[in-house]
Amino acid sequence: MSKRPLLAGAALAAALAMTLSACGGSDGGGDADGTTTITFLSWTGEEQMTPVLDAFGEAHPEVKVEVSYSPPVAEYIQTLQTQVLSGTAPDVFLIAAENKTNLIDGEHVVDLSGEDFVKNVEPFNLETYGRDGAYYGLSLSSWAAGYAYNMDLLAEVGYDSVPETWDEFLEMCQKLKDAGITPFLESVDQMPTTVSAMIGAKSSEMDPSLDDLIFSGESTFEEQWTPVLEEYNRLYTEGLVSSDVVGLDGDMVRDEFAAGRVAMFNAGPWNIAAIEEAAPDLNWTYAMIPGLEDGKPFVAGAASPGYAINSASDEAHQAAAKVFLGWLASPEGVEIAQKQTNDVTVTSDFDPPVDPIFEPMVESIRSGQLYLPMISWQRSEDVLNVEAVAQIQRMIQGQITPEQVAQALDTKLAAS
Amino acid sequence: MARPLWRRILLSAVMILLACFIGIPLYYIVVNTFKTQGQMVTSPLAPPTELFLGNFQEVLTDPRMYRSFANTLYVTALSVVLQLVVGALAAFAMIMRTSRLNLLIGNILLIGFIVPGQSTLIPLYRTLVGFKLVNDLNGLVVMYMGGAIFCYFLIQGYMRTLPFEVIEAARLDGAGPFRIFWHIALPLIKPILVTVGVFQTMWVWNDFLIPTVFISSPDKRTVVLQVYNAVSEFTTDWPMFMTVSVVALIPMVIFFVFTQRHIVSGLLAGSVKG
Amino acid sequence: MSAVAVRPPRALSKRGSLRGGASGGWKQIAVNQAFLLPALFVFVFLFVVPLVQTFYWSLTDFTGYSPEANFVGLENYTKILQDPSMLAGLGFTLLFAVGTTVLITVLAIPLTVQLNKVFFGRNFVRSVWFFPAIPSMAILGLVWRYVLSPLESGVLNSVLARFGVEPIGWLSVDSLARLSVIVVGVWAATGWHAVLYTAYLQSIPGEYYEVAKIDGASPRQQFFGITLPLLTPAVVISTFLLMTGGLKVFDLPYTLTNGGPGFATYTITQSIIVSGVGQGRYGLASALAVMFTVAVGILSFSQLALTRYIERRFVWPGRCGAASC
Repeated sequence: MSKRPLLAGAALAAALAMTLSACGGSDGGGDADGTTTITFLSWTGEEQMTPVLDAFGEAHPEVKVEVSYSPPVAEYIQTLQTQVLSGTAPDVFLIAAENKTNLIDGEHVVDLSGEDFVKNVEPFNLETYGRDGAYYGLSLSSWAAGYAYNMDLLAEVGYDSVPETWDEFLEMCQKLKDAGITPFLESVDQMPTTVSAMIGAKSSEMDPSLDDLIFSGESTFEEQWTPVLEEYNRLYTEGLVSSDVVGLDGDMVRDEFAAGRVAMFNAGPWNIAAIEEAAPDLNWTYAMIPGLEDGKPFVAGAASPGYAINSASDEAHQAAAKVFLGWLASPEGVEIAQKQTNDVTVTSDFDPPVDPIFEPMVESIRSGQLYLPMISWQRSEDVLNVEAVAQIQRMIQGQITPEQVAQALDTKLAAS
Repeated sequence: MARPLWRRILLSAVMILLACFIGIPLYYIVVNTFKTQGQMVTSPLAPPTELFLGNFQEVLTDPRMYRSFANTLYVTALSVVLQLVVGALAAFAMIMRTSRLNLLIGNILLIGFIVPGQSTLIPLYRTLVGFKLVNDLNGLVVMYMGGAIFCYFLIQGYMRTLPFEVIEAARLDGAGPFRIFWHIALPLIKPILVTVGVFQTMWVWNDFLIPTVFISSPDKRTVVLQVYNAVSEFTTDWPMFMTVSVVALIPMVIFFVFTQRHIVSGLLAGSVKG
Repeated sequence: MSAVAVRPPRALSKRGSLRGGASGGWKQIAVNQAFLLPALFVFVFLFVVPLVQTFYWSLTDFTGYSPEANFVGLENYTKILQDPSMLAGLGFTLLFAVGTTVLITVLAIPLTVQLNKVFFGRNFVRSVWFFPAIPSMAILGLVWRYVLSPLESGVLNSVLARFGVEPIGWLSVDSLARLSVIVVGVWAATGWHAVLYTAYLQSIPGEYYEVAKIDGASPRQQFFGITLPLLTPAVVISTFLLMTGGLKVFDLPYTLTNGGPGFATYTITQSIIVSGVGQGRYGLASALAVMFTVAVGILSFSQLALTRYIERRFVWPGRCGAASC
């Protein structure tokens, strides 16, 4: 008897909620009025995407976009995968490093290389999501990560500019450390920015590229990666940085920097807003990652995921989707999106306004001088990446040598 | 009852101290909802210097938050009630008739615990597409019915400890299975029903995996999807994220405080035991 | 297997025979069995069908993207057995499952007993203990990540620093990271299991304690003589849940340590997800899932059989003794 109120309460709540949720849910699709409705699974959050879609609606009333959202990265990939597999994928979705191989292999995406709207886009971005001359993703921006420097802390040990080479960088770390300042922290919950940039610098001077050699079997990770990893590992073997970094994530390192407790850290554009809000008076700047002896400064980075069109959609929907993509790549579209996301865009007919602090990185981004192993690798990207991160962490802890890290990658590649 | 006063005070002190320690993360979450990102970075643990209500204001004025509450309420209430009914019916049948067949079925049902949820997701998605239950709140309810096996397991375990003479007596009086189930068994198993119900409510309310795959329209989002809507690819506004989380959990806290007394209801909870 | 796992305890079988003459014939039995149908339907639809599908895929080169899948026999299985890092998560998964099961059980029972005594602030304490069951494990993992940060500014380290303790690498040293994940796992679930035990405590008739008190039993004797034995059915349930949940753990290590440092806190489920979702090696991930399901099955059913054996040895004679039947 006494459990009635509980049960009844729940039933009432269910009924109430049912009526509430029945009010919404409009069905799109009606093409009778001459409009075409396309579906779109957004990678960008609702907050930032809504103004973009509103502006598109005004510019092209003949195409309606029915949008859904999924937070990046893993959830997005999983959601899209289940939809593709069951034939319910939207007309427009994002092709990313994590799914590009599968989407292209399965012929789920339309080749965009003949379209007018790709002409203004930096080729590096298109090639990232392309294969054999075909472009499958309209990638309109890139990100790059380098080092952020606290100039006041640098001044305390007599520096007024950032070091150009790795040796100078390590020397400066030593001076900072001697002065009682924590010199540098790098989150290694992902591929370390330093390693990506150094491998990128090396690869940019090779032809064919470093990854072409490794994945064709002409070379190995052991041969290509070991020297770079050995240099990187000096941070830890020379006692400049604590091996505790293996337990840190990017946000923690950023907060240490914002609080003035560390002089330098690995940073991307996503850190700007948070640091400026947390420490508006901080005197800091970005810089590219110092070059190794025979290399130039470089940055870690990649083309943002590209808009792709579902090859399973019918002709009318594909045409409407192309209208949508064309507008997104136009100066108006890029401008509105850029205002929301602050991305550094890569279309030639729009100059993105950039925070002056981030200026040192812009040239690399706009010209596609970026490298991220996971995107450049040609197969088994995710498995290799997970393996690399874990093995680098073990190297930092002193459990294995740089050579063993590279060997583990070779083994993993051979097994997959 | 005869416990000396000083021992009760000691127990109070020890338990409250321990609870404070256990509650540090709770404090951490709540205190930071009243801070800006900047304040959180510089002093994450300190109490806020001034009460910053901007986070709450932003969250509470967002109509999407209320819509997602309604969606979640519908899914949670319906699916938990169904789970409990299905689970209790099965447990009842199993206890009433302990044939070899039923024992076998009872063991086979436990396989439901063993299967990692991730591995059944894609097959189930394909099935639900066929039933037009994808991107539909009722589809979520169907998915959560898997929890009925959990309910069954806990309820049958509890039923086995009950004094069965009562049910025997009712049966001898000629009461049918439905009557016995409804009027005798259900009231007896109330403590476990509430416990399991609370637990399943927490699960459904908080689940992220199933809605993120099965729901795509913004107006069908559950609360947790709404929470994660605030997360971007690279960086997170932590105070905001925590505020959304806290707001999303307030109904659960109220629910728990309300149901807690049902768990320890009736019997002389306390003094006598231990 | 049936005879091992869900054998009726003695008292129950006695009831079974008692009821023989009074049962209402076939109709009653049919109605009774019909009660099982909804659960069976749920089970077949949500577990059996997808499992069969997964098993089929495990024998193919299915990518998870294109609908075509070629039969490759046992190739996926042999691949897993030959790749040591596929099984990298095995050790920690076992450690976590056993560690949390034992620690939570050892903590939750005394906690239950204490929480059932009358003391000032009881509702507050009870709520705090239960609180970790409310938010999702993913959010808690993120918060704990800050609490356990190895930096000097980490929450726990800054508290310890007031007592002059040097910063400790909670999440950056292999053994400490493993310990941290287990401790957070215990923190998260102990309160809920205490609530579960509380529900079972309700079913212990108060007279037992009255009788024991008259016989002059001390609180300690009451605990070991009445409470603990009569809670063993709850222990069976609770440990089974903990064991299966522990073996399948994913959210907590994923958000707290992401499997690191190195592979120190890597779990099997993480392997399944990385290869299945991230890599389009769905056939391989399915094979891993099938092997994992079988392994979890063997482990948790043996554990269930063991605890039920203990329950039978322990409880029913105990119950009779206490109730003086």
